[in-house]
Amino acid sequence: MNALLAAVLILIAISALGVVFSPQTIYSALSLVLTVGLLAVVFLVLNAQFLFAVQLIVYAGAVMVLFVFIIALLDPASEERPRITDPRLALGVLAIAGICTAVFIAARNGITYATSCTTQATTCMHGYAVGSLAATGALGADPYSTFGFPQNAVNQAGNVQVLANQLFHTYVLPFEITSLLLLVAAIGAVYLTRRTRTGIRRDPRIPESWSDDLMERAEPPVPTAPAGAGAPVAEARR
Amino acid sequence: MLSQAMFPWILLTAGFLFTLGALGVLIRRNPLVVFMCIELMLNAVNLALVGYSSFLSSEEGQVFAFMVIVVAAAEVVVGLGLLTRVFSIGRELDVDDLDEMKR
Repeated sequence: MNALLAAVLILIAISALGVVFSPQTIYSALSLVLTVGLLAVVFLVLNAQFLFAVQLIVYAGAVMVLFVFIIALLDPASEERPRITDPRLALGVLAIAGICTAVFIAARNGITYATSCTTQATTCMHGYAVGSLAATGALGADPYSTFGFPQNAVNQAGNVQVLANQLFHTYVLPFEITSLLLLVAAIGAVYLTRRTRTGIRRDPRIPESWSDDLMERAEPPVPTAPAGAGAPVAEARR
Repeated sequence: MLSQAMFPWILLTAGFLFTLGALGVLIRRNPLVVFMCIELMLNAVNLALVGYSSFLSSEEGQVFAFMVIVVAAAEVVVGLGLLTRVFSIGRELDVDDLDEMKR
């Protein structure tokens, strides 16, 4: 498990470098697909099975398909790589190295590892809590013999059940607010991407003097309705 | 069995992803890639949250990571809608060129 996790973490770092430094946008998107897929593997290793499924469905499924669709729709030109001598790039690399070093040193030295933990106290860290449960026989003789991913001590009822209990009891108000957020985002996306042809766009209650030059198309508007039946209706609405 | 000695490496990867995403936001000029770098930063936060959740035997980090995923999905929807809007009014997709808000 440790070797698997180390390999996946290294691959995540490499594919994230591909996201930032690919000159073509589509390569950045495909690198991001790889990154979020490997992060899902890390979630599975870390006993977050529900987030593993959500990560694959929402990120690798929905969000990345949206990205690839938009790239195909907009066809962005490729961008030259940042030059190595660019001082901003050197500053960024220095910042990455500094912050990573600080995080690593803090994580190595700032956390006290429990060396012996025989009770199920809340201060027990993950591995020792599982170990103590295995010692009492609560998880069977060898809890890891049948399945490679060990049951987290907190996940004994099942990861989805535990998360649902938290989401629908403790955090039910934030959960409902996220539904409102998704509704607002959907309405905003529909509003932003609606068609803007003249004759269809204008609300008759809005006066013509309120023309918004940012909203005007660069080219002259194409006539939408044929000259026969549609045009008088459009004219009458205005 | 996952060794606890792996936990600092998980945090190191999360910090690396976050700073790399911030660097990408600063040096890339294509707004689509800028959005992808923001996704990278949000994923780094998710990795740190789930790592701490597993390390501390607490499921609350996973709840917060779920919320972060929801917010990221909403952000992508609105952001890509804005980009298609900018493209449809005939502007070039370049964050150095789209600077009306600075004036």
